[in-house]
Amino acid sequence: MDVRRVIWVNLIFAVPCFSAFAGAVVEGRVELPKSHSAPVVTQRYEIVAHHGALATRPPLAVVYLEGSFPKRRAPPIKQLAQKDLTFVPSLLPVQVGTKVEFPNFDDTYHSIFSYSPAKRFDLGRYRPEERPIPSKIFDTPGLVTLRCDIHEHMRGLILVLNTPYFVVTDPDGRFRLNALPSGHYTLKAWIDSKTTREQLVQLKNGETLHVDFP
Amino acid sequence: MISLSQTNVRKITTFRRKLSVTIVLVVSAITALALYLAQRNVAATAERDLRANFQAELAGLHKIEQLRHAALTERCYALAEKPRIHAALEDNALDLLYPSAKDELRDLMEGEEPSSEQVAGSLHARFYRFLDSSGAVLQAPNPNDVGELTPKAETQLGFGRLPGTQQIGYLWQSGNTAAQVIDEVIVVPIFSTETGDVISALVIGFEPFELGGKRPDVGMKSGIWVDGRLDLSSLSKSEQSALENQITDAVTKSQRGQNNFTVTINGAPQLLFYTRLNPASLFPPAYEICIYPLADWIAQLHRLRWRIGGAGVFILLGGFVASHFVAARFSAPVEKLVVDSEEDRARRKSAEAALASTSDELKRSTRYSADASHQLKNPVTVLRVGLETLLAREDFEPQIYEELSALLHQTHRLTGVIDDLLLLSQMDAGHLRIASRPVNLSVLIEEWLDDLNALPDSPDVKIEREFPSDLYVAGEKQYTSLIVQNLLENARKYNRPGGRIKVRAHKEKGEILLMVGNTGRPITPTMHELIFERFRCTDGSRSGHGLGLNLARELARLHRGDLRLVCSKNDWTEFEARFVIASQTANNPSQTA
Repeated sequence: MDVRRVIWVNLIFAVPCFSAFAGAVVEGRVELPKSHSAPVVTQRYEIVAHHGALATRPPLAVVYLEGSFPKRRAPPIKQLAQKDLTFVPSLLPVQVGTKVEFPNFDDTYHSIFSYSPAKRFDLGRYRPEERPIPSKIFDTPGLVTLRCDIHEHMRGLILVLNTPYFVVTDPDGRFRLNALPSGHYTLKAWIDSKTTREQLVQLKNGETLHVDFP
Repeated sequence: MISLSQTNVRKITTFRRKLSVTIVLVVSAITALALYLAQRNVAATAERDLRANFQAELAGLHKIEQLRHAALTERCYALAEKPRIHAALEDNALDLLYPSAKDELRDLMEGEEPSSEQVAGSLHARFYRFLDSSGAVLQAPNPNDVGELTPKAETQLGFGRLPGTQQIGYLWQSGNTAAQVIDEVIVVPIFSTETGDVISALVIGFEPFELGGKRPDVGMKSGIWVDGRLDLSSLSKSEQSALENQITDAVTKSQRGQNNFTVTINGAPQLLFYTRLNPASLFPPAYEICIYPLADWIAQLHRLRWRIGGAGVFILLGGFVASHFVAARFSAPVEKLVVDSEEDRARRKSAEAALASTSDELKRSTRYSADASHQLKNPVTVLRVGLETLLAREDFEPQIYEELSALLHQTHRLTGVIDDLLLLSQMDAGHLRIASRPVNLSVLIEEWLDDLNALPDSPDVKIEREFPSDLYVAGEKQYTSLIVQNLLENARKYNRPGGRIKVRAHKEKGEILLMVGNTGRPITPTMHELIFERFRCTDGSRSGHGLGLNLARELARLHRGDLRLVCSKNDWTEFEARFVIASQTANNPSQTA
């Protein structure tokens, strides 16, 4: 499985399945922090710390709808791979209860662990061909910082959300959330580990709401 | 041989003794000075070498220590960079800090305690701790895993703030055993990968590196002084406490990081060298103390001094012996001088006495010849005057006139002899004073040649002249004339009939040579020198009283010239007279006229 396919799969699963019900839609733009690196086509996203806050570089944001939603069956399995000694994707939002696999696409060992309060785990050292693919279920909302015990520079972020409605913005900060239930909610934009912006929204079935996070 | 007087013998002995003592003193002084300088130089060189060796030795060991420090520090930094430790500190998982570190530091903490020989190369740690953001020690859940420390020792590890750089410290710990030991503590800061700030620090305690441990052959002992206390395990407690005060004094007085001084331990002198172990550290200053026994060196120095002293004694003995001989040698000429001077004095006295008597005799004889000539001249004059009176009468037989004439001639001869004798006596007495004036020799010769021709009984001789007209000699005209007269008269007197006289004169090498040759019977070779003696006559048949040549030669020599017979054979006899050339002939030519 190659990287593109992983991204593809993630994008598919990021769009809620019941968009067919043609619920409410929210679209808009999150004002992302200025990136100092020039835009490159094959830009890799990596996790950097700036003033103690972890974020991707170039910046990306996660926009999600907060509220209480009825429990559904187990969310689909997601993958967060290690490729070229980085995590791909470097920022992965998942719904609570999601099982995330950590395939190793490098020619070396990795030892992925996290000491984050939201999820402490230690996969131990494993080879690229390790089967079954090491995985963990993330059942507590919060930010999980992934590290590799062997490659100390490696950082990955998993944002465990208590909602099925979330999306990662494009590099310009644009986003679109489809098939949202109608009602009063809080729309949040996670920008880095210390910055989450929010706006109250009222969603109506069949309507498209435009929300910008300045 | 003149025997020396008692006083002189005593003086010579005293002189010899003084000379000997002086030489001995000089030799002793020079030797002592040379020995002192040599000894001082040797001692200074030896001490310099010792210190240099010691410091080189120490520098080598310090190099090892520095390498060890570097290795330890690098290890600590590597540990501090561990992702799990960072994760525990940054991801708010302090409860996982020590458990994570336990895995990471397992190789440091576990395993056998290394023996002291292996300490330098070993990275074995005694304990480790983390500091929290306030600089206080984070308590470990299980002290056994991190190395046990007393609460007091644990508080020593914290600074009250987190250090920005690595720190090395030496801390007294009372470990499991009763004896107190020093731990070498390395603190490295841990920087947050997120903020770049110091969020914690890793403190690891090691067993200190013992410098002397590896070099027992050198006899060097090393220890650590910190906080006013010394840990030098090879010394007894009392020795340590005695040293502690000295080191504390030295360290507090001098701000230098290192220095050395000499101490005495158990009566044995030792060179103590101290170096600051943790310059610019937040921990209390710690000094490494190295003690090097000087006993061997001092013994060696003593041996060297003895050797130099021995050599000095030998040199001195040699100097004494040499000085004795030298004194004897030097005093020998002086003694000889004393003896000689004594002999000289005696000789002089006798010579003076002889001179005095000779002088008296001479005076007497001079007076006598003067008196004698006067006594002789008066009767001769009376005789001559009588004879002339008789000759003036006309009433005698003709043969009586001849007799009278012959008698008169003899009185003339007698007068000439008396004059000659008078002159000789004057010369002998040294009374004759010769003035040195230019005398025209050419004119003198011409005058006398004219006189020769005018003489009544002049034989038929041919005269050849061969001299320039302006030969000036230095002398008294009267006596120069006498010399010329004598030579020319002899040439005429001893000539044969029909013979010739040859008179030549010329300048030669600052002198004027006058050669007078004549034909006639030669002088027999045996008489060649005798003719110049007084009252010697070569030929008894001729007239002459045997004073002329002697007088002429004496006069010539008085004029710094000479007179000699050049040759006399084959009908030819030639005399040569030498005169000094007048220096300034032009000054007074009128005198010669």
